[in-house]
Amino acid sequence: MEKEIGKICAEGLAFFGITNRLISHELKNILAIISETLGLIDELIKSSQTGLDLKPGQLSSLSESVIEEIERANSIIRNMNTFAHSVDEFMGEVDISRILSLMIGICRLNSASKNTKLRLVDNGPCVIYTSPLFLQKLLYQVINFSLPFVSPQHEIKVSFDSDDHGARIIFSGISCNNIKELNEKEAWLAKMLSAKVFLDATAGELSIALPKRIGESPLQSLISEWQ
Amino acid sequence: MKILLVDDEEKFVSRLAQRLILRGLEADWATTWDEALSKTEKGKYDIAVLDVKMPFMSGIDLKKKLEKISPDMKFIFVTGHGSEEDYNVGSKEAAFYIMKPFKIETLVEKIKQALEV
Repeated sequence: MEKEIGKICAEGLAFFGITNRLISHELKNILAIISETLGLIDELIKSSQTGLDLKPGQLSSLSESVIEEIERANSIIRNMNTFAHSVDEFMGEVDISRILSLMIGICRLNSASKNTKLRLVDNGPCVIYTSPLFLQKLLYQVINFSLPFVSPQHEIKVSFDSDDHGARIIFSGISCNNIKELNEKEAWLAKMLSAKVFLDATAGELSIALPKRIGESPLQSLISEWQ
Repeated sequence: MKILLVDDEEKFVSRLAQRLILRGLEADWATTWDEALSKTEKGKYDIAVLDVKMPFMSGIDLKKKLEKISPDMKFIFVTGHGSEEDYNVGSKEAAFYIMKPFKIETLVEKIKQALEV
């Protein structure tokens, strides 16, 4: 049990590190765009003083572009804050729609590196009681596991449904020919969340079945130790 | 001095190219690895400035392909990713490894140093 609890803590911290790196990488790219754009505006203005034709339309377009990048950065920072708050409660009510939206945003760089779009089909609020941090971690693992196996359409559709027993998250658009089985990490995370992960090679789908309320698991034991 | 800039963020790479041109340098840009290879096959570039992390192919792998086409080409890596591991690998593979965002004067200086101008 102590070993499991140690592993839980290590996985949680490692996930925080990974997410911070992804967010900082995206923000640096945005800062670079803003830096080059403002530098270009400055140089075009200076060049106009030595005779270069200044195109007001071009300046306007460049400054609008800066505003777009600031909005993009703001969206990323909102995600960062939402993620940071995911540890406010170790266990709690989680809206599947919101957590998927968050993880798709956080995984944007990884999906872009594989030229793949992650598209969320939002069916509205769907609430379960679980560990927000570890569900995010499982979703992160599953998304990154799926990316190398995307179908030729280069889009993974992420949808979800629910019933009285729990919720199911489905990743479609995966070419399962080369996938033999899931990694140990996904299986372990699923166990921590009292969840099951299924791979349907025929349908090209990977799904996560989550209970309405997390059952007996080392995560629950960790909470009991503290309380 | 002819420069090829390669980065998947078009706004970044196109504006950087414009700024280098305003400084009297000859600069061209590409947002994908195949575009970079195609431009290199058609024209001779003295130096390539490559983003380390791009879709489908890393800057390091792209460098190896570009070298086969243009063995004398020099390389500078740029990145928004700050890991020490990436720095250690990138620094060995190129003349310089620069973190984004950077001052254009820094890039111009590094380009000149790489080409020993």
